[in-house]
Amino acid sequence: MPDLDVLVVGAGPAGAVAAWQAKQAAPELDVALLERDRAVGSPVRCAEGVGDAGLREFANPDGADWAARKITRVIFLAPDDTEVKVAERDVGWVLDRTRFDAQLAAQAAAAGAAVLVGTEATGMTHAADGRWHVRVKQRGVEDIYRARVVIAADGVEAMVGRWAGIDTRVPARDMESCAQYVLQGIDFDPDAIYLQFGDRIAPGGYAWIFPRGVASANVGLGLVALKADGRNAREYLDAWVARRYPTAARTALTVGGVIVHTTIKRTCADGVLVAGDAAHMINPLSGGGIVNAMKAGRLAGCTAAAAIREGDTSERRLSSYHQAWMDLLGDDHLKYYRIKQALENLDDAFFNGLARTVNGIPQEKRSLGRIFAHALVKHPQLIPVAARFFL
Amino acid sequence: MRRVTPAEIAVVDLAVCDRCGLCLPLCPPESIHLELNVLTVDRDSCTGCEKCVAPCPVGALAMVAYA
Repeated sequence: MPDLDVLVVGAGPAGAVAAWQAKQAAPELDVALLERDRAVGSPVRCAEGVGDAGLREFANPDGADWAARKITRVIFLAPDDTEVKVAERDVGWVLDRTRFDAQLAAQAAAAGAAVLVGTEATGMTHAADGRWHVRVKQRGVEDIYRARVVIAADGVEAMVGRWAGIDTRVPARDMESCAQYVLQGIDFDPDAIYLQFGDRIAPGGYAWIFPRGVASANVGLGLVALKADGRNAREYLDAWVARRYPTAARTALTVGGVIVHTTIKRTCADGVLVAGDAAHMINPLSGGGIVNAMKAGRLAGCTAAAAIREGDTSERRLSSYHQAWMDLLGDDHLKYYRIKQALENLDDAFFNGLARTVNGIPQEKRSLGRIFAHALVKHPQLIPVAARFFL
Repeated sequence: MRRVTPAEIAVVDLAVCDRCGLCLPLCPPESIHLELNVLTVDRDSCTGCEKCVAPCPVGALAMVAYA
């Protein structure tokens, strides 16, 4: 029965950074990082896009083998295919998550954490000794790991938080159903990411093209099933790809859920911290979660390390993690969520008109502030959306 | 536990399911589990609410008569 200080469940960006930061903050602690799958970073269930500034807080992408492509432009496509370019700077990167996640786990290992692949947590109980007893299966053999603090970084499934009595359920309207192909041999601007909105393309979400190379890209979409016409995400994607890239080779298919909600009300319990997708720490407007997960992992790892040193891992002590997260990003997500709700009332005709308004502004003058001001004047439907921002 | 026996419950087609886990947090009675790469729906607690069916990105979940 291994005896640990910190047991991290899930070796995605949240978990790997949590294990790395906990061990770095308190090198005397025994820290283990569990990965259910037989390889860290696989399977990839992600569009792999990430902002430049947030990424650099954790890793330097310049020349790194885990950075597939640098992005300098964003191209919005209105429902009627009108193209709008809105940014031209260091926008971000498309990662190679298989390599990136492995690199983060390697950082955790270099700091002294044990990385255990093919190792699945299947349940846990809070024992009389104050530790969590986590049931773990590895190659068909069951064992119990004891831990002072369990960091739940198990993604959208969020079972670990559930075992600790935390409600991690999601209303159906806040779940994006996603499907994505890797397409080869397609023609597009390989320095740009493309985002397309439209009720017939991806109702309640958007479709994307994220370049992996000059002629290959992650091409996918997310939609809210409640707004869909009965087809599932893969069927919507097949229709979109058939229209845009009928001759492309589809060399990978992945599916998954993105929770576009706000942070769960309780992100900790006695001896438990929930981080990343498991705590719904995703930007509800963009669906982006990688940097958020790493920031939450850093907070969780440092909070766990400090709490163990103080000899107090109660929910009361650990709740500083929740407050720190809400101050850092959680409160912003509440605001983004309200904007998302207001945008849901706007239809395809509105977005087609907005695209033409923005294209009326010379590209070199296309700052976000100017776009916003022009849009408010020409499209009064946006006023309630803007009002949400200041509520 | 559910109060009423449902007419239909959700079942998963494991040949279609991609094990993405999207349906787990959608299930109000927490009847869906993913363990050792197998998704299961607990027929004794599923209330037949159907909330898991349409969101599945590949259509692996369906309702069947509870018998």
